[in-house]
Amino acid sequence: MHRALFTPRGRILSVLAVGTAAALALAACAAPDAPAAQDGGTLVYASGDAEPTCLDPHVGGNYPQALISTQYLEPLVGRDADGEITPWLATDWTVSDDGLTWDFTLRDDVTFTDGTPLDADAVKVNIEHLQNPDTGSSTGYLAVAKVAEVEAVDATHARFHLSAPDSALLESLSQQWTAIESPAGIARGTDENCAAPIGTGPFLVDEWVPQQQVTLVRNDDYNTPDAGTENDGPAHLNTIEWRFIPDAATRWAALQSGEVNVIDNPQPDAIVAAEQSDDIAHIDAPRPGSSNRIELNSGQAPFDDVRVREAFIRAADPEPGIESLYLGTVTRSTSPLASTEPVAISDDALFETDAAAAAALLDEAGWTEDASGVRSKDGKPLTVRFPVSTNQSVAAEQSLFEQIQANAAAVGFDVVLTPMDLSSWYGALGANEYEAVSAPYTKVGPDVLRILYHSDGIVPAPSGYFANHAQLSDPALDALLDAASATSDADERADLYAQAQEIILASYTVLPLYDQQNHFLTRGVTGVRTLGTVATPTFVDARLDG
Amino acid sequence: MRIARWALARIGSALLVVWVVTTIVFFALRASGDPLEAILGGPGSQAGEEAVAVARETYGLDQPLLWQYLLLLGRVGTLQLGDSYARRQPVIDLIAAQLPSTLLLATLALALAWALALCGAIIARTSRGPAGRAVTASLRGAEIVATVMPQFWLGAVLILVFASTLGVLPATSSGADPAGLVLPVVTLAIPIAGFLAQIMRDSLAEADAAPFAVTARARGASDTRLLLHHTLRHASLPALALSGWAYGSLLSGAVVVETLFARPGLGRLLIDGAMQRDVPLVIGAVVVVALVYVVVLVIGDALELLVDPRLRRRTRTIVRQADVAVGA
Amino acid sequence: MSNPVAAPSLRAAFARLRPAGVVALVVVLAILVAAVWPGLIAPGDPLAIAPTDALAPPSLAHLFGTDESGRDIFTRVVHGTAPSVGIGLAATGIGIGAGLVLGFASGLGPKALDAALGRVIEVLFALPTLVMALLLVAVMGPGTGAAVLAIGAATAPGYARILRARVRAVAGSGYVEYARLEGTRRTRVFLRHIAPNTLWPLVGVATLGIGQAIVWVSALSFLGFGTLPPSPEWGAMLNAGRVYISTAWWMTIFPGLAIVVTATALTVLGRTAAGGGRR
Repeated sequence: MHRALFTPRGRILSVLAVGTAAALALAACAAPDAPAAQDGGTLVYASGDAEPTCLDPHVGGNYPQALISTQYLEPLVGRDADGEITPWLATDWTVSDDGLTWDFTLRDDVTFTDGTPLDADAVKVNIEHLQNPDTGSSTGYLAVAKVAEVEAVDATHARFHLSAPDSALLESLSQQWTAIESPAGIARGTDENCAAPIGTGPFLVDEWVPQQQVTLVRNDDYNTPDAGTENDGPAHLNTIEWRFIPDAATRWAALQSGEVNVIDNPQPDAIVAAEQSDDIAHIDAPRPGSSNRIELNSGQAPFDDVRVREAFIRAADPEPGIESLYLGTVTRSTSPLASTEPVAISDDALFETDAAAAAALLDEAGWTEDASGVRSKDGKPLTVRFPVSTNQSVAAEQSLFEQIQANAAAVGFDVVLTPMDLSSWYGALGANEYEAVSAPYTKVGPDVLRILYHSDGIVPAPSGYFANHAQLSDPALDALLDAASATSDADERADLYAQAQEIILASYTVLPLYDQQNHFLTRGVTGVRTLGTVATPTFVDARLDG
Repeated sequence: MRIARWALARIGSALLVVWVVTTIVFFALRASGDPLEAILGGPGSQAGEEAVAVARETYGLDQPLLWQYLLLLGRVGTLQLGDSYARRQPVIDLIAAQLPSTLLLATLALALAWALALCGAIIARTSRGPAGRAVTASLRGAEIVATVMPQFWLGAVLILVFASTLGVLPATSSGADPAGLVLPVVTLAIPIAGFLAQIMRDSLAEADAAPFAVTARARGASDTRLLLHHTLRHASLPALALSGWAYGSLLSGAVVVETLFARPGLGRLLIDGAMQRDVPLVIGAVVVVALVYVVVLVIGDALELLVDPRLRRRTRTIVRQADVAVGA
Repeated sequence: MSNPVAAPSLRAAFARLRPAGVVALVVVLAILVAAVWPGLIAPGDPLAIAPTDALAPPSLAHLFGTDESGRDIFTRVVHGTAPSVGIGLAATGIGIGAGLVLGFASGLGPKALDAALGRVIEVLFALPTLVMALLLVAVMGPGTGAAVLAIGAATAPGYARILRARVRAVAGSGYVEYARLEGTRRTRVFLRHIAPNTLWPLVGVATLGIGQAIVWVSALSFLGFGTLPPSPEWGAMLNAGRVYISTAWWMTIFPGLAIVVTATALTVLGRTAAGGGRR
């Protein structure tokens, strides 16, 4: 009759209760991991960028790939803080007078981590890999577009034959998207090479568990540090755990609690807190290429009228927003190029806020005010479609766009902000369904202006994508950009790019905001620095705190 | 004989689930405009010609509509879920890798929810007098609030308090590390705990008034004895019956919780898939979730059989409560 | 539920309200006022930015503080009632509409149809809401419309299920059979007897459902499939506020409270009006 607590139900329940209590007790006792000792140990990196679908930056070519591939792949040349090209895997180079032949001298003491030697043949295989349509390269492909053929003169001499002079060749070859991989590694096929590319870097890919982490282990035979590294041998760290935490608040919390050592894409308030704290360090490394800017589509109404464009720019008033949203961690830029480019020029006068002038310009252009507050002309409202890619804009930036939207609304623009996933965003751009867009472009060197503002950039690629979102088509500008690309004289180049930038800014198709923000916060580790090329962090000198 | 009928019914359920999901997907694909576009990752996916040809072939897009439907049905039914568009890996592999993590989370959450609900029901039952009434009233309020609280809000607040401010628990976790599981499991469990508590409290009150309870009390059984030996068992029946449905709801919640706490799992996979318009992956994930639900129902049935001896002896069906909050 | 009764009058429903129900009713009425005439409670402009006044904590000037662009959160929460509740209503409307069709077809139709539809409804009801919503969003693309449609479609089986049970119970009851025997036309039987007895209890469930729908839509916003900025919809505000949660807790707490309070009030109201007594 009495079955007490030994009924099946009672047993199940008591087990559940005890189990839960035990779990909670364990949780209370558990402490976060303690940091490892001086040399060796595991560094944990948490990235807020999307997890790459392929670890080989030759395939596709985006910034998350550049971030992680910096640890295991190296380019032919590097770049120092002043923008000067430095030797790396290649020690020396010369260019012919007509600019069509480049000779590179390679180091003779380097092997990839699979034992294959680094030689001119390897360089040839890499360039061919980039140019092969089956690889599916976007960024690297464009970077070496003018290379017709690579000739392996001997083991340490590679000769590049160009189809046209390219003053940006060295800058293009300094990027992670044209980094040199082992030819034997490439020969394994795309699937295997995507899972673990083989290079000359201080670490190598040990294991990739998608959605969890990539494990990188030290390359004990490492001997190719770039010019800025102190350590000339293998790295101090044993392993790097590369994790993906897309949520900014969670990522910051993970750094604060000691679960991770380095995070990227911190929010401005996290940056400020880091600067005020003793145990969190802040690295500010703007990405090269274009500045972060809003481009206005001058190829269709209403922005085909320069007065309307100027009105928008005069009304936007992004400065108060930049100051308050970014808490002083960001400076306003009025240049189309990043501040890391020595040839960048800016023009503050063109971008002074003047709401009254904006209203006057719109009146002049025939846009009259409506009862609803939105201006119209010939029955059509002054609508500005502004698709925003949530993958590429941090929260503070989206708030800034909302403020610009409000400011523009005050003079009669109806700005429609539409947050979208990357795919829909590309779709909207490809179908010309935008009046304003913010599309950051990372590339080493001022040649990025040619990609973004030459009229060739309006012609869509087979995929439908085109880079010239401002749809600028100015023969004078085209001529300047072509000439700058052809000349090898540094001064002449700088002068041509300066003229080009003046034309671009004066066209009012670009509203520069600030540098492409690239901040890293570190805790419990020293010796982290960023490359002078694409501003990605390298951990060759890094040591964990004792 | 009974077992055979029951097994047949369950298999039928599984097949029905697959059929329903496939039909929904089919119509949604048609309704969205260009199904080819949807399959290949959305309007701006820049798919290569080869990928387009493969998709046409696999989904039979040049064939008549009925044929396409049957093709899709056949592929989903045999769990040939194809390759994820964005990741270029078989969908089955991706899901198999992430499923255990989500199941761990959901199971622990269900256990915690049960524990909390039981405590709540017992406290409500044993509270007497004006103080007891206040306790019961506040418990009732807490239950309702628990069921309507947005999980991502609750989770964000917990992270703020326990990870950022107090620093006693980690904000992110993966695998079975106990400290890292506390916050996600608590966040996931609370709405279900509120729901189960309401059910249990009502059925406990009902069981208390039943003839057998009255008789037992008349024969001198103490309150606790009555509670433990008799009424609790009766009271847990409806909650047990609804636990299967509750597990499905937990899988839904896992989507939010995994995103918030950066845990790998089926929920994260589903979100990433939806973000990237990776239709094969999303279809696969949804089918697997539905199948998990069927499996849980089976387990629920078995447990019910264990707890309620009446079910073993007779062939009557227990009437399930139809008045449940809408949606999972 | 229990045996079918004659359609209760409004008065009877009010008589059933207990103190909790009355409070809930008052809150719901306040929410309705905020939705229809927000300017009455919060006369400011919810879209007006003031970058110099960003992230100010709650004070007399700003009851709920300001957000990262200096917008007053109290004003935004009040003005956000209409879009947030409206979305919940729309999703519930779709859900009930589809649920009505399915439920009546199944309950009143021939046995075969009922058996088939019944099983389908059970299965659909089982599939987790958010998962189904994501499936639809993945295929159709993001956007408020898709989100509302997705949540509506995902909640429809729940309504269909309840309706079907009620319809079968009512249709099989004594007085309906008597009415049919008497010779009353089918449509009249439906309108006078079946419809009122089945639809009335649905009101209680629907109020519960609106609260749930609001939470679901805000969850979709959190996951990135929500309304367009700068709309002060609560879910979107919650999502935006989470970024600043360690420095400006008020951005997250107050919209979250709005959701919880609204959903709770609707739930309590729904339960007391429909269920009476025990709960």
